[in-house]
Amino acid sequence: MGEDLLKARVAQLENYIMKKCLWQFHSRAWDREKQNEGILTKTMQILCGEPVEKESPADRCYWVDAVCLADAYKSKFDWISSLNTNEIKRVMQGLKERIDFVTISGSLNEELTVQQY
Amino acid sequence: MPYHKFKCSECIPEREKHAVMKGPGEDLSCALPLGYLNTIPGTISERGCAYCGAKHVIGTPMKDVIHISHGPVGCTYDTWQTKRYISDNDNFQIKNTFATDMKEKHIIFGAEKLLKQNIVEAFKAFPNIKRMTIYQTCASALIGDDINAVAQEVMDEMPEVDIFVCNSPGFAGPSQSGGHHKINIAWINQKVGTVEPKITSDYVINYVGEYNIQGDQEVMQDYFKRMGIQVLSTFTGNGSYDDLRGMHRAHLNVLECARSAEYICNELRVRYGIPRLDIDGFGFEPLSASLRKIGLFFGIEDRAQAIIDEETARWKPELDWYKERLKGKKVCLWPGGSKLWHWANVIHEEMGVEVVSVYTKFGHQGDMEKGIARCEEGALAIDDPNELEGLEAMEKLKPDVIFTGKRPGEVAKKVRVPYLNAHAYHNGPYKGYEGWVRFARDIYNAIYSPIHQLSALDISKDEIPTDKGFATAKMISDVNLSDEVRNSTDLREYTGGYDSVSKLREKTYPYMEKQLADV
Repeated sequence: MGEDLLKARVAQLENYIMKKCLWQFHSRAWDREKQNEGILTKTMQILCGEPVEKESPADRCYWVDAVCLADAYKSKFDWISSLNTNEIKRVMQGLKERIDFVTISGSLNEELTVQQY
Repeated sequence: MPYHKFKCSECIPEREKHAVMKGPGEDLSCALPLGYLNTIPGTISERGCAYCGAKHVIGTPMKDVIHISHGPVGCTYDTWQTKRYISDNDNFQIKNTFATDMKEKHIIFGAEKLLKQNIVEAFKAFPNIKRMTIYQTCASALIGDDINAVAQEVMDEMPEVDIFVCNSPGFAGPSQSGGHHKINIAWINQKVGTVEPKITSDYVINYVGEYNIQGDQEVMQDYFKRMGIQVLSTFTGNGSYDDLRGMHRAHLNVLECARSAEYICNELRVRYGIPRLDIDGFGFEPLSASLRKIGLFFGIEDRAQAIIDEETARWKPELDWYKERLKGKKVCLWPGGSKLWHWANVIHEEMGVEVVSVYTKFGHQGDMEKGIARCEEGALAIDDPNELEGLEAMEKLKPDVIFTGKRPGEVAKKVRVPYLNAHAYHNGPYKGYEGWVRFARDIYNAIYSPIHQLSALDISKDEIPTDKGFATAKMISDVNLSDEVRNSTDLREYTGGYDSVSKLREKTYPYMEKQLADV
């Protein structure tokens, strides 16, 4: 998978999250980091057929968003089923970097660093 | 940054950074207006105050409570009668409003004695109500009345009552949103953990940020109960004061309006380890995904799927009837806060309308992030607009309908743009599958009402056609439809009743009854 194709596929996945999901927009940077890490890691694990930690309430909450996201990706983007595990991980890593940028490091939201809720 | 400068606001240059138009290839890292800042002097804002946000949005939907404002009577009366957060106890909290009616002499000599008299009088007038919330106002805050001390004195003398004090005067923030914040934090600090609730299910949630507008909460609660889920408390629509004191025992916080109530969810997560799951109760696909997530969390996704299948089969043909007739219509989505992101994408996908603008009166930048992310390119996003900006936007964008509050809505009517009440609804509830069809019906009726064509005729100069009969909404809406759509036997108009909520109060729930029997 070339860089251009990778970028295009990451953009499709990002667009779905931005249009359909709410979990990436918690109000503080530290929560967004946890949300992005928790849900996108578990989504990657589901897509790769790997075991997923879901015993604690927090993990279980990340997991339910991940299940729905993985299902949506599989049903909307046929190309996912043609990827091997390494390729899925590469796409999901690119997606994680992009979501982190748009919602945290590149965000213009001035309240992300307010210390209290 | 793709800022949008309104011509009418050229004399207020600070306004420029409060509106953006997302262009091709632009994302949130380059297109986000400022938000949640003090209103700029000279711009006539449409916002409410922090007292209003605390009392009239969050506090007062609690149903079994005497809600009393410690201040001039106008504070409690103005806006109170516009609310539609109904309840299943004969709407006690919207039928009655209370104020201590502070006057000049109380400003000079203090009003604590007056407050105590009013508290006792109110409890005596309504002997079945044993719970009270006292709301500080600008007047009582500025003179420094110690409301907490008075409340404690009454509770010591009347041990059967419990009183919550909300110190959120009108000036305590840039807008009503400051009051949302203050009452969230005050409730968890003062009241959560002071009652041990009875747990009757293996699946227990708090339903947070839901205000039962025209019955929204009762519609969603019906789905939860059909799944066997105990709604321990609702913060705050149709919610009970003592149930909300027991929020700390839920297994999951299901959050609807993150703008007004994410604070208490975040604190419940930090203090009690209860996770927060953000959901959408509006629209078939988002609602289905939300029910499925809650089902997955508890391991009862089959129950969620049964509801999704049943409700979708019942109501989708009716939603699609309206979608065929609403396709391509231009919409300005101008609510107070959360509906800009709850609705922005789903009304486009499920009703076919084009969202040409979003605005928020009191939202924060986080709300605009969600709203802009969910809009298509070219949508004009405005923070804290003034009336002239709204008019200029309507002139530029030429929407077919706007969704907003009743005050800007009446302004829109004057320029012949129909509006729907995004806060209190026209013919809600709008949540749930049936509710979403009711919303589509209201949009259809707003856009295609024959009154718009009739009102455009000026009888002093226009020629009045005498050779044509009255055109009904359907004659106007169906003129460009294909025969296949117009004559479809699969699609149909809304077939629900006038009241879609009251019948829910009589229902029984097999899963809930079985679990209750096992307790």
